[in-house]
This record gives sequence, C-alpha cells and structure tokens, in this order.
Amino acid sequence: MGEAVTFAVAAVGALGFGIGVVFFRDAFRAAVSLIGTLVSVALLFIALLAPFAAAVQVIVYAGAIVVMFLFVIAYLGDRGDIGTPDRLDRWQVIGWMGLMGLGAFGAIVVQTSTAGPVQAAPASTDVGSPASIGDAFLTGHLLAFEVTSLVLLVAAVGAVILARGAVQGEGGR
Amino acid sequence: MSVPIGAYLMLSLALLILGLIGVMRRRNPLMLLLSVELMLNAGNVALIGFSRLWDDPSGQVFALVVMVVAAAEVVIGLGLVVAIFRSRTNLDVDEMSSMRG
Repeated sequence: MGEAVTFAVAAVGALGFGIGVVFFRDAFRAAVSLIGTLVSVALLFIALLAPFAAAVQVIVYAGAIVVMFLFVIAYLGDRGDIGTPDRLDRWQVIGWMGLMGLGAFGAIVVQTSTAGPVQAAPASTDVGSPASIGDAFLTGHLLAFEVTSLVLLVAAVGAVILARGAVQGEGGR
Repeated sequence: MSVPIGAYLMLSLALLILGLIGVMRRRNPLMLLLSVELMLNAGNVALIGFSRLWDDPSGQVFALVVMVVAAAEVVIGLGLVVAIFRSRTNLDVDEMSSMRG
C-alpha cells in the first residue's frame, strides 16, 4: 500500500515536472522544473528499495548538474529563439510517426512481457545498501568502476581545454 | 509491495518519450541537454526497477554509471554551449553546422 501511494505521487510528479521541462519556454523555469522530476525519480528509487541510488540522484543530479545548468543559463542570459526556418521541417511527419511507433512498441512489449510483479520480500534485504553496491562495483564490475574514473578525467580535461580557448578569445592567457 | 514492474516500465517509457519530444522540438542547445537528462533518468528508472525485480545490485551499478556519464556529458555540453555562444549572438542548433571555431 505504501509503495503504491509513493509510486503514484512520484509518477505524477515526474511526468508533470517533465512536461514542464519540455514545454516551458523560459530556460530557467525548465531547469527548475527538472529538479522536480529528479526528486520524484529519487522517490521512485526509495520505493524500489534503492536508498543509496536515491541519495546519489539528489546529490549529483539535483545538487550538482542542475546548479551547473542554472549557472550557465544565468551566465548566458535570456535569449529567445530567433525565427530561422527549420531545415528539417520536411521530415517532421516522419519524426512524429517514429515517436508514436516507439511508444506503441514499448507499450506492447511491456504489456506482453511475462515478468511478474516486483518481488514482495527480497531474499537479501541489503541490495540497495552502499555496502552491497560497493561490493558489486569492486568485484563483478571492476572495469566499469575504472572506466568511470577515466570518463570523469577526460570530461574534466575537455572542459579545461574548452574554457582555455574561450579565455584566449577574450585576450587572456 | 503491490506495484508491478510494468508500471515502472510504463513510467520509464513515458519519461523517455517526453525527453525525445523535447529533443525534437527544442532549438536551444541548453534545452536539448535538459531533455537528454530526462531520457537518461527514464533509463535509470528502468534499470533500478529491474534491479528490484531480480534482487540483484547490478542494476543499481549500471544506474550509477549512467549518472557518471550524464555528469560528464553535461560538463562537455555546457562547455561547448558557452564556447559557441562567444562567437554568436543567438543559440540555435540549426545554425550550428560548422565544426570549426
């Protein structure tokens, strides 16, 4: 019962704020709306007994990534869409048809799959704990763990190089 | 514990399609990145749902790796947006057809 209520609240929140992300004209409002979606998804993770993933979701996404978005939006200021003609206009119909096809395909797959309801009581109750996730990372998924550090390093170096070119463009070193 | 896995998957599908609509409709690269975040979150919901279904932490490991990739993608994406903004006055992906600065 508790899971059903949590799921309902989080699902409505995620979809409602998600619609805000997609349809708000103002970039700032869309970014703030994204926070709502991310917190709702964190609620879903808690309902799925994944408290560690929920905490990381709030800290990394709602904490760091959205703040970075808001910083860039504030830095660039408000600049509306200008009326250049859409060069992909002719393909729009095909795009929407593909989208509806994807939706129908996914719905059919979910409806006809034989996976049962979520297990009522997990055999090991600590699947979502930091200890069990760390254990999985350092035993079965060690390569993913190492590649993660490499990806973050490459992203940091790339951001520094992009920023250095921009500073030189302004006459700095 | 009454919510079937299908409900989580349908929510994931809806979020993914919402993000896809955003990617298709938006012209501002910032909004494109926001919509991509929405799609990545949809994937994470499905991954953690399966992790719960099979009672296996691997799904949560995948979700955490997806979060790392999302963080790296945002760093590079926002860096590119700021760098492109310096040479142009408006932000429109349809205008960005050149690979040279």
